[in-house]
Amino acid sequence: MSDLDRQIEQLTRCEPISEEQVKRLCMKAREILIEEGNVQVVDAPVTICGDIHGQFFDLMELFKMGGFCPDTNYLFMGDFVDRGFYSVETFLLLLALKVRYPERITLIRGNHESRQITQVYGFYDECQRKYGSSNVWRWCCEVFDYLALGAVVDGRVFCVHGGLSPNLQGIDQIRAIDRKQEVPHDGPMCDLLWSDPDDIQGWGLSPRGAGFLFGADITKTFAHNNAIDLIARAHQLAMEGFKLMFDQTIVTVWSAPNYCYRCGNVASILELDEHLAQEYKVFSHATVGAVVSFNSVVRFSMTRLSRGIRHRRQTPAFHFTFISSPFISFKFHFGPSKFLDPFMVLGGG
Amino acid sequence: MTYQKPRKAILSKEQLEYFQQSNTHKEIVSYVETLNESVVGSKLTDDCSTSKGVTTVLELLDEIEKIAEETPPVDNAASRFGNPAFRTFYDKVSEKSASLHAALPGLPAETIPEISVYFDEAWGSRTRIDYGSGMELNFLCWLFCLERLGVLLESDHKAIVLRIFWRYIKIMRILQSTYWLEPAGSHGVWGLDDYHFLPFLYGSAQLRGHKYIKPKAIHDAEIVEEYSQYYMYFACIEFINSIKTASLRWHSPMLDDISAVKTWDKVNSGMIKMYLAEVLGKLPVIQHFLFGSILTYDGPELPKTDASEDDAHRGHAHAHPDLGGAGQREVGWGDCCGIPVPSVFASAAANAKTAEGGFKVAGPGIRPVPFD
Repeated sequence: MSDLDRQIEQLTRCEPISEEQVKRLCMKAREILIEEGNVQVVDAPVTICGDIHGQFFDLMELFKMGGFCPDTNYLFMGDFVDRGFYSVETFLLLLALKVRYPERITLIRGNHESRQITQVYGFYDECQRKYGSSNVWRWCCEVFDYLALGAVVDGRVFCVHGGLSPNLQGIDQIRAIDRKQEVPHDGPMCDLLWSDPDDIQGWGLSPRGAGFLFGADITKTFAHNNAIDLIARAHQLAMEGFKLMFDQTIVTVWSAPNYCYRCGNVASILELDEHLAQEYKVFSHATVGAVVSFNSVVRFSMTRLSRGIRHRRQTPAFHFTFISSPFISFKFHFGPSKFLDPFMVLGGG
Repeated sequence: MTYQKPRKAILSKEQLEYFQQSNTHKEIVSYVETLNESVVGSKLTDDCSTSKGVTTVLELLDEIEKIAEETPPVDNAASRFGNPAFRTFYDKVSEKSASLHAALPGLPAETIPEISVYFDEAWGSRTRIDYGSGMELNFLCWLFCLERLGVLLESDHKAIVLRIFWRYIKIMRILQSTYWLEPAGSHGVWGLDDYHFLPFLYGSAQLRGHKYIKPKAIHDAEIVEEYSQYYMYFACIEFINSIKTASLRWHSPMLDDISAVKTWDKVNSGMIKMYLAEVLGKLPVIQHFLFGSILTYDGPELPKTDASEDDAHRGHAHAHPDLGGAGQREVGWGDCCGIPVPSVFASAAANAKTAEGGFKVAGPGIRPVPFD
């Protein structure tokens, strides 16, 4: 068994790898990612996933339902980190899978894969806590700069974290961006990661303070001009796990169930088969602890031909989830408590 | 003294540093500390001396709750950005605000346009339908102004926290759950709470010197239930437990850590330090601080832009020298708004006047930290 396989195994148990191992993993990942285009070309079949936000055990639920990598091809549309408890383990596992199976998994950049945002929303703090320094955060941020900005599946499904940009009419224009940098405050690269579709005409200001809102007309024109059937994006919580808009030209896929431990939403993944037929698989959050959870999985499927949603109810399955307390696995990794040391509080990111 | 409509003034790190040395900052900190001391060892159920001002403010808050009751959430297809009925609530509050203020005893009419802004902005952001410690701070500023103008008295301090502030928090809980206010700038599990800070600060003051309840008692469901009626800290824990799934250890590791602190004295002094650092010292919060004639700002100004002050995209020019060393927070990134941004970008953006979308995005340079 190679070191990398061992690391994948360890991360799958939600145990962080050593700082030295993170450093090497990030270096290898950069070597692979630098060869990828701004818009990665991906072949169907592939399973498309939205925001994860450090919800490691829910990512495990996702894999249980969708199949583990490399048995299933995956495309993750960013926002691996921030907010959840396990951003470190989540991102490093996905990264290790990327290094181990580069052709089987595609990672594209979300607006949270940014130095600015991770310092505000938790990933920076988490790295400090788990490793006692900001090295891991820094190396991960360097990897973020190399992540692709989008992907196209079989030339017909365009995947991006946020949405469209008034500065970009064609997918080819994305290829001209110099992406190896921190996410800018504005411009096309920022918009791809920050924008949202909305029920408006044309373009609108985003309440987020970055990116834009774009309407059905913009979406349809973009799809038409680029010979695209569907735009798949993430970035917004969808209570039902996914949300199709604008005559099914765009879909939001959200993969973080019970977001922030309180929203009560379900999550989904989008499976595209070799003919690009879409199947949305909905799942709910992992039940933590030595509990038998009754996790009912409802499948919605939609084929492009029928343009209708077919509901198929799967027999509810029993899942046994036995997960140790985070404090058992973390006791060697937690640095000094931030709160107990007022100097860390004052200097904290 | 001429009163003025409060405005936002801070966007850069230099301005934040100026603010932190300013008299306004000193006064706010001292007000937080004074109120803190006033409730040491007090229960929510304790009697406290209440002036006419306190009673009237409480009546005013009743009115706000009534407005919320009369404004039910609407069917919300968007599902992400909170419930749009919050905007109706916000507009109703703003509309009634002046007349509600007119009822406050001894409040000069000419001050209303100034101090009502702090009040109106204490319930959440109309644009983003979110709420965070910045809005909570606006409420504190409103109380500060009322005391400065003689509506509230020094002898009211205990009642200001145990009656007025706690009433405000309870209304906020209603608004948060009715309109699904997004937590503004949420740190996720790495924050103290999705929305609030001060109830933990004052709550820990209440518990200072308590004979047998220790900080670790937050893990005891019976104690939390029993004492939530007396202590804000336990009421907040109870609220979090009620809306979050899984254990406190997972969804609130900060509170879990704090529960390992031995005494409430240490928790309380830690809370004050944390408030200074994480709220009063953070640009994402202080970029929204409102300055007027009472809480003044006379530091370096923002360069003029043609964007409106209330524009979420408000910004100003701010180019950085390129320090090189990509990816290094310490050296490679110009530190903009207290948040490092790539220098190439800042200078490139400094040249841009309008976005190609055909409308202005407040152009050059730095911007408020975006919301997500």
